[in-house]
Formats: sequence, C-alpha cells, structure tokens
Amino acid sequence: MERRDFIRGATAVTLPLALSGYSAKAMGLSPLLESLAVASAAADRYLVLIQLAGGNDGINTVIPLDQMSEYNRIRSNIALPENRVLKLTNATGLHPSMVGMKSLFDAGNLAVIQGVAYPNSNFSHFRSTDIWMSGADFNEYLGTGWAGRYLDSQFPNYPVGYPSREMPDPLAIQISATPSLTLKGTSTPMGVNVQDPAAFLRLVQGSAVDGFDTAPNTDAGKQIAYIRQIQGQSETYASVIKSAYDKAKNLATYTPMNVNPLADQLAIVARLIAGGLKTRVYLVTLGGFDTHAQQVSMADRTLGTHATLLARLSEGIASFQQDLKLNRVDNKVVGMTFSEFGRRPGSNVSSGTDHGTSAPVFVFGSAIKGGVLNGNPSLTNLNGGNLQMQTDFRQIYASILKQWFATDSTEYKAILGKDYNTLPLISTASTSVNDTQTVMNATTLQLQNYPNPVSSTTTIEYVLPASSNVRLTIFDGLGGVITSLEEQQASGTHRVAFNAESLAAGTYLYRLQTERGVASGKMIVAR
Amino acid sequence: MPLLDKYSAPLTAKAAEHLLRRTMFGASRTDITALTGKTIDQALDTLLKDQPAPPPPTIPGQSTTWIGNTSRSQAEGEYNNHTKAWWISRMANESLSITEKMTVFWHNHFVSTFGAVNDTRYLYKQHQTLRRNVLGNFKTFVREITIDPAMLVYLNGNRNVAGAPQENYARELQELFTIGKGPEISQGNYTTYTEDDVKAAARVLTGWIDVNDTVTSRFRPALHDNKNKQFSAAYQNTIITGRTGTTEADGLAEIDDMLTMIFKQNATSEYIVSKFYRFFVNSNITPAITNEFIKPLAKIFRDSGYEIKPVLRALFGSIHFFDEKIVGCMIKTPLDLIVGAFRSTKSPMYTIPVPTTLQTLLNEYNTFWYGSSNTGGVLQTLAVLQQDIFGLPNVAGWQAYYQEPLFYQTWINTATMPLRGKFTDYFVKGWRLSRDTVFMPFDSVKFLESLPTPRFATADIVVENFTEHFYAIDLTDDQKDYLVHTILMSNPKSSSVWTDNRYIWSEEWNAYLLTPLDPIKKNTVKARLDALLIYMMKIAEYQIM
Repeated sequence: MERRDFIRGATAVTLPLALSGYSAKAMGLSPLLESLAVASAAADRYLVLIQLAGGNDGINTVIPLDQMSEYNRIRSNIALPENRVLKLTNATGLHPSMVGMKSLFDAGNLAVIQGVAYPNSNFSHFRSTDIWMSGADFNEYLGTGWAGRYLDSQFPNYPVGYPSREMPDPLAIQISATPSLTLKGTSTPMGVNVQDPAAFLRLVQGSAVDGFDTAPNTDAGKQIAYIRQIQGQSETYASVIKSAYDKAKNLATYTPMNVNPLADQLAIVARLIAGGLKTRVYLVTLGGFDTHAQQVSMADRTLGTHATLLARLSEGIASFQQDLKLNRVDNKVVGMTFSEFGRRPGSNVSSGTDHGTSAPVFVFGSAIKGGVLNGNPSLTNLNGGNLQMQTDFRQIYASILKQWFATDSTEYKAILGKDYNTLPLISTASTSVNDTQTVMNATTLQLQNYPNPVSSTTTIEYVLPASSNVRLTIFDGLGGVITSLEEQQASGTHRVAFNAESLAAGTYLYRLQTERGVASGKMIVAR
Repeated sequence: MPLLDKYSAPLTAKAAEHLLRRTMFGASRTDITALTGKTIDQALDTLLKDQPAPPPPTIPGQSTTWIGNTSRSQAEGEYNNHTKAWWISRMANESLSITEKMTVFWHNHFVSTFGAVNDTRYLYKQHQTLRRNVLGNFKTFVREITIDPAMLVYLNGNRNVAGAPQENYARELQELFTIGKGPEISQGNYTTYTEDDVKAAARVLTGWIDVNDTVTSRFRPALHDNKNKQFSAAYQNTIITGRTGTTEADGLAEIDDMLTMIFKQNATSEYIVSKFYRFFVNSNITPAITNEFIKPLAKIFRDSGYEIKPVLRALFGSIHFFDEKIVGCMIKTPLDLIVGAFRSTKSPMYTIPVPTTLQTLLNEYNTFWYGSSNTGGVLQTLAVLQQDIFGLPNVAGWQAYYQEPLFYQTWINTATMPLRGKFTDYFVKGWRLSRDTVFMPFDSVKFLESLPTPRFATADIVVENFTEHFYAIDLTDDQKDYLVHTILMSNPKSSSVWTDNRYIWSEEWNAYLLTPLDPIKKNTVKARLDALLIYMMKIAEYQIM
C-alpha cells in the first residue's frame, strides 16, 4: 500500500463525515492518530515455525510414563531408562536431553500437544511434508502453504505495492536458501530467504537490476519475470533486514556457532524480532530426524543421534526464549515445531524406528498457556502398528490463526478450507480483542454497518436516544486503533461513511462510546 | 503435428546451442560450430556415444591415491572434496557428450550422500556404478544400485534382516527409484503400490550387507527372509517365491523377480520418463504432454527393454524438444551456472591432478575450489547455491525437480540470487589468493575475438555478439541499447547533455588491434568488456536456459 492510499483509508471516516446533515468537525490526521494507525497496521505478533525434517520419533521425545511396561516391551532396544526421563507430569516426561524445554514447561511457557497427525497418514517424507506445509487433506493437493495463505489474506496483492508504509518489512523470513511450501502464497512465495543478514546487504549491493519489466508471455518469460521479482525483493529488503539485525543484540547465550544449526538460525530470528522487524512469520529447519537405524547409543541410550537432535532443539528454543525475554519482546512471539510424521511405536532391529503417524507438537512462548494437551497416545490401541491420531494438525493452525493472529472463523476457514476445533493454546490475557467482547446497549443504540462484508465503502449507522459526546473508533482484529472520531452529536440517527478500500481483508471492530453506554460491532473486509 | 515426431531440419546454430545447454553445461562456440548443420541423428550419435571411464581422482600435488584403501581415512572429508572437484572439472572439460549431465541426473535419482555414508570410498564406488550404467539398461542399473554398498548404508538396507525388516530402501525403491507414488486412494494405498507392498519388498531385500574393507556387498542367507512374499493387487497379487538357497544368486533371484514385477507396470516407465522430462525439457507437464509425449516415450522405453539410449534419442530428437516455447523455459541449476560459465567461454578450470607440487599453484587450486577469506570457491558456491554434489538434501534429490509449484524457481530466492552474482563477478574478475593477488581473471578480449566477430567490431556488434552467445532468448532493442550506452560506454542516456560516444569504443578497439601486445591498449578495451560481462551475467536472462 502506498502512503497516500493509506492516509486515504485512515481519514475516510473523519473527513467525509456527514453526520445526518451535521457537518463534522474535520479532524486532520494528527500525529497521534497517525502513529496509532501505523502501530495497529503492523500487528505486533510473530510466529516462528520450526521444522524437524525427517519425521521425529515422538515416543522417545515425549515419553508416556503411564505405559512404561508396554513402552519397554515394544522398543526394547531403544527404550529410555525411566529414571532419566524429565518428568512433566506424573504421566508424561521429556527426553533426558531436553532440559531447556523442561524449564520452559515448568515456567508455563510450553504446550505439548499429543498425537498430532491427519486422517489417513501418508508414509512418504515428501508427500507428508507437503500435507503439513500446505494444510491439505491426505487426498488433496495444494500448491500453497498454510502460512502463505494467511499472509495472502492479510496482505492482498503482495508483492505488488510492497513494501508499504504499513508493512515495510518482509512478510515472512526463512533462514535458508531453499524456499518452503509453507510460505507459498497463491501467486508467489510470501517470504524472503536469508542466510546471513550481515552479509546480505553487502551481497545485494552491486547486483544488477536493469529496470526492464517486459518479458515474453512464455514459460521463459515467466521465469524472467520471477527472477526479476526476486532480484527486486533482495534489493528492497536487504537494508531493512540489515538495520534490524544491527539494531539488536543476542542477549542470551546460544550454543557456539556452527555446532547447533537450529540455534544459529534462531539467534538470527531473535535479533531480527528484537531489532523491530514487523515480519509476521519466520521459518527455520533442523534436519536429520529420519532415524531408521541406531537412533540411540548402545553404551548409553540417553545419548546418540536422536538425543543430539533433541538437545539441539531444546537448547535452541530455550536460548531463543531467554533472548526474547531479555530483549523484552517475548510477549510478541509464539513458536511451534512440526515434523512430517512421527515414527512407529515398535522399534526395528537396527535400533531405529520406521515411518509412523502421529507425534507431539510443541508450542512455546510467554503468551502460551502451558501444559500437556490431549494426554498420552495409547501404545496398545494401535492402528496397523501405528499410533492413533488424537489431534488434527490443522487444529493447531486454526488455534494460532484465531487466538494469536486474531483471524475470525470466516477468515481461518478460508485459509484452512474448513473449521477445526481449536485448542486453548494462547493465554486469554494476551488476546486483546476477541469475539466475545461484551456489547452493552447495542439494542438501544441500534449500532450496525452495511453492507457487511464490505469491499469498498460501508455505512456505520446508530441511533442516539439523546444528544451526547460520542467517540467512534475502528480497530483492527488485534485491537489496534485504525482511526477514531470524537464529537458532540444530537439525538437521532447518524450515518458515518467509512472507506475500507485500502484495508487488508480481515475482521475489524468498531466501538461507539456515548454518555449513555457503549456498543460495538464487527465489520468484515472481504476482497 | 505429434510432439514426438522427429525434428528433421539440419541444426541451426541456435538449435545446436539449445541442445548443448540441455545435454551439457553451457555451449561453447567450438561445440556449437561442431553441431551446426548436422542432422539431429548425427548430433545425437555424438552426444549419446559411450565414453571410456575416466581416470580416478587423485590427491592434488601427490602421486598417491585413496582408491583401494581398506578402511575409512581420517581425511575422508578432504577426499570427498577432491572427488567433487574432479567431477566438476570433468563436466567443464569433457568432449561433446551427454555423459556428465546424465551422470548428474542419476546422481539426483539414486541419491546417496557423503553426510550419511561418510566414506568417500563408498560414494566413489557408487559413482562408478552410475557411470557404468549411465546410458545402459535401466533395469540392470536398478539391480546394481539395490545392492550397491553406499546405497545399502544410505537407506539402511544393510540393517534389513529377517524378522524385523527395515523398510527404508523398500519404500524409496518404489516411491522414488522405479514406479513412483500415485495418489493415495485409501489409507496406505498409493495407487501404484501399497504400504503392504513396502513391507513385502523389505522382506525380499533382507540379508544384504556391505563389506567395509573391500567396499562391496554380500548376501547373508541367515539374515534373509526365505518365505514367500505376497504383493497387493497393484502388482496383480504377485507372489515372490522365497528362495531357501544360500548363494548370492539365490538372493539376487528374488530381487530379480521383484524388479520384473515392478517393471511390468506401465507406471514405472511413465514415472522415469517424467523425471527425464523435468530434468531435460520443462517442469510443466500438462495432460497433453502426458498423453502425446510422456506416454509414447514410455512405450519406447518399455519396448526397448528399458534401454536408456533409445528413449533419450527420441526425446532430444523430437520437434517438441526444439519448440521455441521450450527454449529458455528452464532456470539454470547452480551447476549450469558455474560449469556453464567456464564451458561456454572455454575457460580452463583448475583440474586434478594439479601438475605440480609448487605451493603457489596448490594455493591457487585450493582457493579456486574451496575458497578463502578473500574469495568464494567453486565448491563452496555450489553448496550455498543449494546444489552440493554428494550432499543432496535428501533421498528425493533436489527440490527443483519435484517440488510443485515452484520447481526450477526453487533455485532462485533472495538468499541465492545475490550469491549467483557474486560467483559471476569472481568468474570475470578472477579469484583472489590474497587481497591484492588475483589469479585466473577472465580474458574477455580473447573471448570476444573467439566469437564470429568482424575484425573492426562496433559497440553494437559487441553487444549483439554477447547477447547471441550468452542468452537462450533474444533481448529487446531497448535492453541492447541500454547495454551499449549505459554499460559498455558508461554513458547513460539519462544525463542532461547526452551525446553518443560509441565512436570511442571503435577507436579503442582499433588501437588495440593495431598493437595487441600493448597492455594499456588491451586493458582499455578489457575494462569495458569486463563491465559488460559482469552486468550481462547478472540479469534475469542469463539465469535461464
């Protein structure tokens, strides 16, 4: 969105205000209002996705302490000693190497969601990864990612018109040079790829972009247009990324560089967030979870390949969370792990595990409601030797979209294809505006808007039983103020025209405060 | 006209260039000239000809080799790097042949990585298997790979034993190496095979282990499940009879029966031909392409008993391959970008064995391949651009060939795009031994003279020639105008008092031609040509092929 478009959007409610024939007190775009509008547009909530590539062995990550005899029986060659498991609850424990995440759990900053999968598991790494990243059903093929579709809904037409005043930063950043389906939007990847923010700008400087934008309408021409777009994005975003990176420091201690690739990536993410980037979604990856053979050390089963991987995960997340806290941005960040599948509960003869179905997902952050959700999977009630699904992975996506990104059910249904039961993942204290906000005296004030959903302009109408000083405020879905109007009005019906053309699709709230009461309504901007 | 009809016209220079870019790495003027005017059959006779096995990699500056060692060495990482450098320099220096690119195809098809196998002896052995079968018989190839020592380690076949089968190889053999996975029509049923088929195949494959000291494989009958194996309706309910014999031939007999069953399915040939198509032609497989191109090619593949040459001959010899819509539709892989820069300009690469023990040259060799604090090396660049050979991301190979919907665009993103430019900068300016010592700078003057350039070439002819040589598709007149004035003449038309200064180029060039040994004269024109090349190798048009 260009600056001028934005201002038009923000002032539409005030300047053209013709309140039932009363001329409105023209309200210029005060610096305060302007800053409010900007702050609200750049919704201050970020999501960090951590991909555990290869299929993580859930049963040795989150150990069902209530089924240890069956556990020891079916995975006798890789079973962890019970007394070394880090107890979360009486029934559930973490792998001994996950000390950092255990502390997070104790602090109430870690949710363990059990038995996450989808109906009709696919045992191919690649297909199952696509399913998790796209949010598809087992028999549905989507060329877009779930986070990409979310960003599409919030930032329509991207990349045309971006960076904008309200979104000057990349929508999403992946710390890798291989783009992920997760961030793929309808027409283009919604994220940028960065490996080394310090070197990025230096590399980009001196890159040639000739400014030519004509390309033949052939496959070759499409490739050229795509490459130019990426070149343009590199130039555009390199300096904002570098300046955010330089502005902040890692205040926590991470594993030394080049030892734990996940910690290296998360350290970058922490600096970018602390440095003030408004980037909504980050994606990092830790690989190596395809532990078909020798996943534990023969000498000490609490060590070995899987233990090393989980230590990296745990240390990386713990340092990251600590870093966010010390940088005072921990309330803005929620993290989530995912892997294409879990592994079979019964181990194979090579002290490893083959491809399985469900596995636990971790969601962490200061805004999280900690705990173990949905209980341990049963090791005896199996489906063809595999664990039964307890949680559909899209329930977690829906919960994050709804509770963290404050999309309403219409929006997240559009993103996920259908409705899913949400889980209580985000502590309600951090949800500033929600669907259940108390509406007082709505009947009396007869507050409404039409048309609704709105694509261009809508009329907000209300009836004042008596003259009153009124304040009409429009909020975005997270409770940030888009704009407001305050003035003395006579009794009777009032209509306020509001131009929503330049607002992103989504749900907005409006609130009418009068001397006699308060009412609020919800307006959906659809594109 | 059916897409698979023979391309009958003699090859023009442009057609030869297209064929060379897709079957090799970049097209040099010499190679283009060699194929121009030939029929496609003559060209393919040359490109598809069997090549002798290359001499093995050695250790730079030393007469020793690690080939034949009976155990893994502490220096495996270094050997692995030498092997990569050895292969890449073959790609850059080979004569007219599809061999190296086809070997890359198989390397991306039958994946094993140094990271997982961690023994260069094993990977080199597998590499020899790839080369031996590169244009041979696909079924024989699969049989050899199934018991290849590196593959037995990479996909845990060496741990697959009776009683507790290990499904890793059995799954990828079907999903990725032969029949391919169709849509999941019900739980565990992938149309072309089922989860039960994965389990049955794993049992067929039990009992094979790798032998470390000789880098070979061996059949251990005691570890083999010798009962019958029942396959699903996807394989016509085939039963593979369990062999109770104890010889290697008995173990192989079951594998052969299973491969015969897999190769009896049309899906196998169609899946492999689709992979050829995405690797050599285009990522976009429409229903029309499937019906009119993939399926008839698959039939040729089957009818020949899975010989690789006939199907490639029909593919590259088709009118579809030479369709102008196909030209330029691929994005250069990092290998195409890097090797192509050398090959298309006939610039030498540092090759093994480095013919000397001189420390300076060894330093240059190391810097060129591995990089230093002043310079990015070729292997480093390849890895950061996401095409580390012997270091593929996973068993499915590089995403560019399978990840819908981006496909080739996977190579291009904000992280890799600036690094591509950094590489071509080094290519033109030279590699740095230290901050001030440059080696192997590109001789852009000599290169210009190697093109079909009239002796007194104008600025416009220079741009025209470079455009013609480096790009799969033509530039617009505006773009050429920009290259001439803004880049070659550093005289952007935007300046307020603009006057055409192209005559300066002609003067400088003619001065050089009169006294070609005068370094000042040469450097004057070289500076302009370098700037032009640095620019031309960065723009979007350079990234496609």
